[in-house]
Amino acid sequence: MTERRAVRLVRWRNSAAVVVAGVLLMTLAACSGGVSGGSIGTGVTTTPPPTINNVQPVLMDDGPVVNGQFVGFNNSVYTTVIICVPGTTTCQSIDHVLVDTGSTGLRLPASVVTLSLPFATDTSNNPIGNCVQYADTTYQWGPLVKVDVQMAGEVASSVPIQIVGPTNFAAAPSSCTAGGTPAQTVADLGSNGILGVGLFRQDCGSACAAASPPAIYFTCPASGCAVAPVAVNAQLQNPVWMFPQDNNGLSIILPQVGAAGSVSLAGSMIFGISTQSDNALGGAQAEGADPEGNFTTTFNGKVYSGSFIDSGSSGYFFLDSSTTALPNCAANSDANGFYCPASPVAFTAINSGPNPKGTGIPVSINVAFSIANALPLIDSPSVVFNNLGGPNPGSFDWGVPFFLGRTVFVGIEGQSSPAGTGPYWAY
Amino acid sequence: MRSAFILFSVLAAAAFPAGATLGGSAESVVTDQARFHAKRAVLERRDYTVHEITGDDGTLIREYVTPAGKVFGVSWTGPTIPDLAQLLGAYNAEFQNTLRSKRSRRSAAVVRNADLVVESAGHTRAFHGRAYLNSMLPNGVTQDVVQ
Repeated sequence: MTERRAVRLVRWRNSAAVVVAGVLLMTLAACSGGVSGGSIGTGVTTTPPPTINNVQPVLMDDGPVVNGQFVGFNNSVYTTVIICVPGTTTCQSIDHVLVDTGSTGLRLPASVVTLSLPFATDTSNNPIGNCVQYADTTYQWGPLVKVDVQMAGEVASSVPIQIVGPTNFAAAPSSCTAGGTPAQTVADLGSNGILGVGLFRQDCGSACAAASPPAIYFTCPASGCAVAPVAVNAQLQNPVWMFPQDNNGLSIILPQVGAAGSVSLAGSMIFGISTQSDNALGGAQAEGADPEGNFTTTFNGKVYSGSFIDSGSSGYFFLDSSTTALPNCAANSDANGFYCPASPVAFTAINSGPNPKGTGIPVSINVAFSIANALPLIDSPSVVFNNLGGPNPGSFDWGVPFFLGRTVFVGIEGQSSPAGTGPYWAY
Repeated sequence: MRSAFILFSVLAAAAFPAGATLGGSAESVVTDQARFHAKRAVLERRDYTVHEITGDDGTLIREYVTPAGKVFGVSWTGPTIPDLAQLLGAYNAEFQNTLRSKRSRRSAAVVRNADLVVESAGHTRAFHGRAYLNSMLPNGVTQDVVQ
């Protein structure tokens, strides 16, 4: 008995992650002790109830290291996520996980996960395969597992997450690969995983629980994987909406940088919207998004539906060279895929969406931005830029530059705050 | 607007022969229809034909066919990206090879080669894109029809 306790103490001391978990549990225990504070009789000072730490640091830098090389991409917002075997203090801390408001759910390459986690199973007791695709035709494929997810002082319990590309799982079906390219390793991803904290509770939602679901969830018996409906609560979840508190959304706060960019940048992700003293909306205006996560952007008098805000995109991606008069960078240059104007060009646009309070009157928000020549920026030592742009035919993808110098609130679907009911953006 | 007439028909899947895709013959359309478990509508335009393939999962694929029966363009919209190896056929390799150096952008994929043009855009729940071959656009037809 004594011996076992001694061993456990040593293990606790040697594991920073486990210590954090222990502190968290104590904090939670303190909070669940019922109403605290308040005054008893006269002369007793009122103390506020203990609050959960809801501030999660984020960082923009060169990214994780693989084989002695930094493998991060420009304009990546990273954070450190602690995952635990559900209900235990057996935990693991994972740094340089990409903060992505354009997707939902936590996705971790198999190579970074050291915890032993059984595959989550469906109603037929088969492992569940999950597929996520991106516009650049990369994809991630792998089984679901369940973990407790810890960020700041917040804990989401038994959250379905995706293990990307494990060798002991079925190969990706062709409806997932779709002729594209896997982005399943740390080097391919430029990160140790993707933390999808977008507008939705699940990556797919009711469409994937319906009779003819899209090729996102698969039932995977030994004979092979097939597209199958999966109940909404068994799908990949946005961990933020599973927190016991501060679960109606989040905000991302990043400072502004100069025109030459920056080699690194520190900011924060704050959980909850108007739930604590540090996450009030202030002067932010809220615009709703449609069930696909889109709103309209008006540019030069023309309306572009299908526009979105995405911390997982590295630039302002909008329209095309002929519409914007911005020359494309040379295809054989380091800046291939970006715009390369001779000198910076300033633009304004108007983002519009329904009022999330349901007033029926759309909310319009003016946005000013500038696009500089991407080539000297990308060839510089900087990795954080507020003026990178590139084409996105027919709509606007407001990527990382949009987040710099702003507080951007993400209102999660079905969750309410003084701004209204999600899905909405506020800034 | 420029339609001489519109012929609209919904045909059952799987009853058609195999074929190719972008740049291939029109029979390829029905292969795609079977592959995507979809219903098909045919819209006759003055200078080309549009085959609309609608999947139960909300995916809509359009294939644009020349009067000579060749697929000169394709487009897609839906919750996932359709199998581009199937839809673009041999041209998918050119698309993927050109993209290889652009992946770090985490953005839409836009490839504008001399003949092949591919645009893939959107995000989880809402993808869309199109591809066409400049060399195969029928006389009097611009790339803008491929939507």
